[in-house]
Amino acid sequence: MFGQYSAFIIPSYLVTALVIAGLIVWSLVDYRLRLRELEELERRGIKRRAAAGKSDD
Amino acid sequence: MSDMSETAAKRASLWDFANPTRFLAIAGPVLPWLGSLTALVFAVALWLGFSAPEDYQQGSTVLIMFIHVPAAWLAMMCYSIMSVSALGTLVWRHPLADVSLRAAAPIGAAFTFLALVTGSLWGKPMWGTWWVWDARLTSVLVLFIIYMGLIALSKAIEEPSAAARALAIVTLVGFINIPIIKFSVDWWNTLHQPASVSKLGRPTMDPSFLYPLLLMALAYTLLFLVLHLMNMRNEILRRRVRSMRMMAARESEAG
Repeated sequence: MFGQYSAFIIPSYLVTALVIAGLIVWSLVDYRLRLRELEELERRGIKRRAAAGKSDD
Repeated sequence: MSDMSETAAKRASLWDFANPTRFLAIAGPVLPWLGSLTALVFAVALWLGFSAPEDYQQGSTVLIMFIHVPAAWLAMMCYSIMSVSALGTLVWRHPLADVSLRAAAPIGAAFTFLALVTGSLWGKPMWGTWWVWDARLTSVLVLFIIYMGLIALSKAIEEPSAAARALAIVTLVGFINIPIIKFSVDWWNTLHQPASVSKLGRPTMDPSFLYPLLLMALAYTLLFLVLHLMNMRNEILRRRVRSMRMMAARESEAG
């Protein structure tokens, strides 16, 4: 496809695509997990200090 | 009088992002748009890159340059942003500075990894070797190791403010490596070629290569922004969960 250098060009693009996809998926999964933890805590009736007027984090 | 109120207005705008809740409120609606724009710029950059002619020296391996060079730039830009964040923690005590530093480290490590791997895949056909211990390659490998060390350190210290300080100090010490990477090709006799885009005067590159490269660099920068915002949001939520759990534990002890 890219002549004699295909064996170097294709792996370059493949590894780049995989690492970028990995970063995106990891960020999205992390977000889902954190949201689930927060929902679980809220269901147990635990509120944030910030809700009482003081900023936390 | 007007000077003072202007300064106050500037302060206010800088500290607008200091509130994590406000950060979440801004990041939420911005991310889908920024993500779509990133995908669009990537598509155009890839199309331009693959329709560029072959280089008279590197042949079709110039295609590797379009993803190698932006990865290397971003690896250094990410570390610079982390260093500014470190100053934010140590000097201005900005509440989101440590969040920004932590969120950026894995992204920087990933881009550095990509720069090393794609560089190696370019080096084999063009230089005849996967790797040489010249100043540029070695200093980028050192950058990768620093990123790994920072990630390990960020997970090693339990107490948040002690962890933030330690991380900030080590990050600033490691910043010495960034000018070494940048100027390694001028200071030492390296196999790696010197800069051809970011130099005084005109870039020594034909527009048919320069435009796809610059567009790809823009795509990588946007991608970094998206990933950084996403990871910062995750880190804020992680801290929220942590403080809520600690509160719950304290209440159950008390009651």
